[in-house]
Amino acid sequence: MQSVVFPNKILPYFLVAPQIVLTVIFFFWPASQALYQSAMREDPFGLQSNFVGLANFRLILSDENYLHALQVTIVFSVATALLSMGLALLLATAADLVVRGKGFYRTMMIIPYAVAPAVAGMLWLFMFNPAMGTLAYLLRRNGIAWDPLLNGDQAMVLVVVAAAWKQISYNFLFFVAGLQAIPKSLLEAAAIDGARGSRRFWTIVFPLLAPTTFFLLVVNTVYAFFDTFGIIHSVTGGGPAKATETLVYKVYNDGFVNLNLGSSAAQSVVLMVIVIALTAFQFRFVERRVHYG
Amino acid sequence: MARIELKDVRKVYGGNIEAIKGVSLDIEDGEMIVLVGPSGCGKSTLLRMVAGLEGISSGEVTIADKRVNELEPAERDIAMVFQNYALYPHMTVRQNLAYGLKNRNTPKDEIDRRITEAARALEIEPFLERKPRQLSGGQRQRVAMGRAIVRKPAAFLFDEPLSNLDAKLRVQMRVEIRRLQRSLATTSIYVTHDQMEAMTLADRLVVLNAGRIEQVGTPIELYEKPETTFVATFIGSPSMNLMKLGNGAGWKMSPEARLPNNAATIGIRPEDIVIVNGNAPGPVRAEVQVAAVELVGAESYVHALTADESPVVFRVPGRSGIRIGETMALTADAARFHLFDAAGKRV
Repeated sequence: MQSVVFPNKILPYFLVAPQIVLTVIFFFWPASQALYQSAMREDPFGLQSNFVGLANFRLILSDENYLHALQVTIVFSVATALLSMGLALLLATAADLVVRGKGFYRTMMIIPYAVAPAVAGMLWLFMFNPAMGTLAYLLRRNGIAWDPLLNGDQAMVLVVVAAAWKQISYNFLFFVAGLQAIPKSLLEAAAIDGARGSRRFWTIVFPLLAPTTFFLLVVNTVYAFFDTFGIIHSVTGGGPAKATETLVYKVYNDGFVNLNLGSSAAQSVVLMVIVIALTAFQFRFVERRVHYG
Repeated sequence: MARIELKDVRKVYGGNIEAIKGVSLDIEDGEMIVLVGPSGCGKSTLLRMVAGLEGISSGEVTIADKRVNELEPAERDIAMVFQNYALYPHMTVRQNLAYGLKNRNTPKDEIDRRITEAARALEIEPFLERKPRQLSGGQRQRVAMGRAIVRKPAAFLFDEPLSNLDAKLRVQMRVEIRRLQRSLATTSIYVTHDQMEAMTLADRLVVLNAGRIEQVGTPIELYEKPETTFVATFIGSPSMNLMKLGNGAGWKMSPEARLPNNAATIGIRPEDIVIVNGNAPGPVRAEVQVAAVELVGAESYVHALTADESPVVFRVPGRSGIRIGETMALTADAARFHLFDAAGKRV
């Protein structure tokens, strides 16, 4: 690493100050509040709180509902990440083949990203609402007993599709850029070497996209964990019977609906640990298999 | 092993831009053909059309007497070496070499045998398990060659393969490519803009200009008998001096230098010009003033200007002691003249 020496001693601190202020206010402060809260228990009337050590953690980790939410989160995240990345990759490779109207096609693909999560959720809710959804009607007419309000698996499918749909644009953009970054001569060499179609894709294109795929894997996991609250809230509200209640949704439910602040804080601390561990794991083990340029 | 034939091959872009304007060429079995020309002359396009990476607008390309216009690159039985090597960065050298064979369902022991053979010939055995990024430019170049060799194709196509190497390595690899091509006796087309490379590698040289063939011939034929002023100036370094007849141009012709009537331009190679003392007669004569002297080692290139400011370049041995600003008289042997008509064709 090259060390840069600024002639002015104070200027460098000024330059990094905005970033540090933001991180402190929006991460360290709430995180430390959560840590503090997670060790407290409040009385039913919210008048005082007592220090209870790790009791909150013991409680949630032995709570069946909590473990169920963990399971739901894993299913939801894996499904969402795979679905959105898979579809985005498919569309991006298709975009590479488009000759006319490339710009239009790409712009259309990016629009869903501009839709707010709650609105995206509402769109899918309206389309698949068993009472008034057009697509729900079509499904039922074709003999599928479609009722996400009662059937937990169908509710899960609905939130996964809605969450994945919203993320496709983002993934699409990165995959298109990733595909463009692959030197044309490599594809030509592969063509001369007799690799065509899907074989060329899996042996040359996909491995060379690995840095992009890896980056998106991290981003999508974090997205599915944290940023899908709006979609779940508007589509299923965590139901039916907590079938779509993810960890984040449970933090909200326990903390802000049921006002069990201690448990909610403990849950968010666990969530923080999970995400840090997950990201560290991905960087430690997945990145090793990634080839950068 | 195959003949390659190009019959009136054309490439048209966007309906009206003609990049290749009708090229016909017969390449013999085992021959090394070098396509040379300035940038934008269409030499790479022509090569890529043979490879199948560019479509052929009209005309016909045959490899081993088989029309290949409609065939995929993989079906043409050719191997190509790219300027940037185009090695698969996520594969080891061994996997890079094996890839083309695996795609053709070659048996595993056959693949191993061919890789060992090629690796020995190219001296890349120590790097077989490494990734391309761990190799130097020269080593990558060898691997790219290896990838072409293991396939045992009917033809090798080289697209400026040495232009990313430093000067010393380029000379070394040039010799090696020539040696390999000779020993394998595989028909090859080699594209370059470097006329040194072209001269030393080619069995026959094809000089391209603006999508047309200017001249085809052995390097020495092209050097000694350039058919056009374009070839005359393109082949040879420093390039041939051209001077228009009739308007003087600072060069004075003696009457006994009987030139054909239709000769419009005289070309003289820099090595054919000699310095004369005083008033010694010669078929052609010019008084010049030295503008620059380039000492390149064993010889020097002297750049000078005639009385009417037209430039002349000539060679003198080693340290000539010639100084900038000096004036001198030049002459040349009439037998060494290259004469061209008004359209630039050889007379």
